[in-house]
Amino acid sequence: MTVELRHYEALHRMRAFEEAIAAAVVSGEIHGEMHLGLGQEAVALALGELRRPGDAIVSTHRGNLHALAAGVDPVALLAEIIERDGLCHGKGGHMHLFDPRHDFMTTGIVGASAPIAAGYALARRRSEDERIAVAILGDGAMNQGSVAETMNLAILWTLPLVFLVEDNGWGISVAREASCAGRLVGRAEPFGMPAQQCDGRDLDAILAALGTAVDHARERGGPTLVVAEVDRFAGHYEGDTDLYRPAESKRAARAPERDPIGRLRARLADAGAEEEQLDESERRARATVEGWFTAARARPFPDERTAAEGVFA
Amino acid sequence: MPAAAHRLNGSQIVARTLRAEMERDPSIIVMGEDVAQLGGVFGATRGLLGRFGADRVLDTPISETAFVGAAIGAAQSGLRPVVEIMFVDFIGVCFDQLINEMAKHRYMSGGEQTTGLVVRTAGGCIGAAGQHSQILSATLAHAPGLKVVLPATLRDLQGLLVAALRDPDPVVIIEHKRLLKATAETLAFGAPVEDLDAPEPIEIGRLQRVRDGADLTIVASGFMSQLAWEAAVELERSTGRSVGVVDLRTISPLDRAGLLREAPAAPRMLVVDEDYGAFGVCAEVMAVLAEGLGRDAPLMGRLAPSSPVPASARLESAVVPSAVSIAERAALLLA
Repeated sequence: MTVELRHYEALHRMRAFEEAIAAAVVSGEIHGEMHLGLGQEAVALALGELRRPGDAIVSTHRGNLHALAAGVDPVALLAEIIERDGLCHGKGGHMHLFDPRHDFMTTGIVGASAPIAAGYALARRRSEDERIAVAILGDGAMNQGSVAETMNLAILWTLPLVFLVEDNGWGISVAREASCAGRLVGRAEPFGMPAQQCDGRDLDAILAALGTAVDHARERGGPTLVVAEVDRFAGHYEGDTDLYRPAESKRAARAPERDPIGRLRARLADAGAEEEQLDESERRARATVEGWFTAARARPFPDERTAAEGVFA
Repeated sequence: MPAAAHRLNGSQIVARTLRAEMERDPSIIVMGEDVAQLGGVFGATRGLLGRFGADRVLDTPISETAFVGAAIGAAQSGLRPVVEIMFVDFIGVCFDQLINEMAKHRYMSGGEQTTGLVVRTAGGCIGAAGQHSQILSATLAHAPGLKVVLPATLRDLQGLLVAALRDPDPVVIIEHKRLLKATAETLAFGAPVEDLDAPEPIEIGRLQRVRDGADLTIVASGFMSQLAWEAAVELERSTGRSVGVVDLRTISPLDRAGLLREAPAAPRMLVVDEDYGAFGVCAEVMAVLAEGLGRDAPLMGRLAPSSPVPASARLESAVVPSAVSIAERAALLLA
């Protein structure tokens, strides 16, 4: 897949989306806990590029960008996030997003995405087509038994499943080195599962690694583990003082030569894109997101009389 | 009752019902530990592998979290999984998938996501002590979004399973081990099993009065309803007092209207549960009645275990309700 200007605009849309949500937390428009994917946009973009209709994505508490990648209506998504009558009618919020029309969901429980995605994959394996499922995990989830159990099951059942790990190096305040024995990519080996490690800040690299895994699943070869190294620009949640990470490492993560957006910009400029074109892409992306916010804010708040409804059909 | 059905035990009826429903609905798959080759440790899936093949009847590793979670994703992809958790005591290892995932997806999605699946699990005392003889019905019922049913008869095993397989929500069926092993002639009461090849559903969420009685009503569920019936018969014989039995059938959602409707039938009520008494079904039933009836509530007592199930049979029978202990407790209310 050739990296193009439209990818640059898409990365900026994702960045602007998360930044606007961060502002809505500060302003009090969002009162709940919020986990943003700032710095991790390239992985979500690659996921969206490789996704085909009917593929299932089961994501995590940090899943806003994956929802965009899955094709979820951005206005309904935003309306849910800003606590309006949105995608889940105000019942789910940003951690519990469900869009059955796009075979997309998130869970707020670390590691719980893997078994559910295996079920989506099991149903897809039975069909004649090439649909697959993707379980998104963080590096912290790799220490949950649910993930090990699911890896075993996925190999035994040759599930068309990709374990996509966004390895941002931190489980809230605990560094990966203090929580994860061995290399994460090595966790696939005992199960006989192919594994890929890549720089998830580099769109080309994540497209290649994830693409290989997706193809393997589509060809009914079974599951693959993909570990994408990324940077978490912000704290674990909005409002996290984030003092446990050295200031220098946080600054370094945002440097243009490391930031996925800065890297793509340099790459496109090298390939002949004009500065003006690139700036225009960014402006267009920000205007698009502003439009989404305006539309989402026009949505009503959920009717409080529905609060206790819908536990059962 | 058809002559053939008369000889079947509960496990065989479950297997026949699954078979009939799998013939009807090709989206039904069965998965769990030892359900395929062995046909289930209680035999409740016997014959299904040979009939439907390994695509629809799947042995799983001993990984409840993985396969219960997988059932959720499969259900949301159009399949109708029937998951067997061998003993209900094992729910602890997959509790997150039960209470945080399958139970909540409908609500958290604002009604957009449906997760129609069935969890079958064997519960109740059968001489296997603290980690294999629990019923844990209240633990499951405590989570909003799980329907929890406890069949008390062979016909209910059949009809509630059929209803569960056609329900849009996740349904946990706690199949009492004694019921799985029982044949019709060994049970105190129960309607005959219906057509094995085209069984009719029994509505989930509705209790049933199974015995009339003017002096006292025993409210129970699952196999406890059988014992309550036995106790009621014995009490009537020995004391001449008239004792009725209400079988809850479903404990979540609890049939509150049905309880309020049945309560005035007798001035006293005994609530029996095999699950731990504290914070359980007994307390819930009594709370519903106290809230709904106020001063008109019947004189009520409770009988339920307050400790884990001990290993020794002698200790076990001292903890788990029996027809004798139910009758003794009821006699106190009648005094």
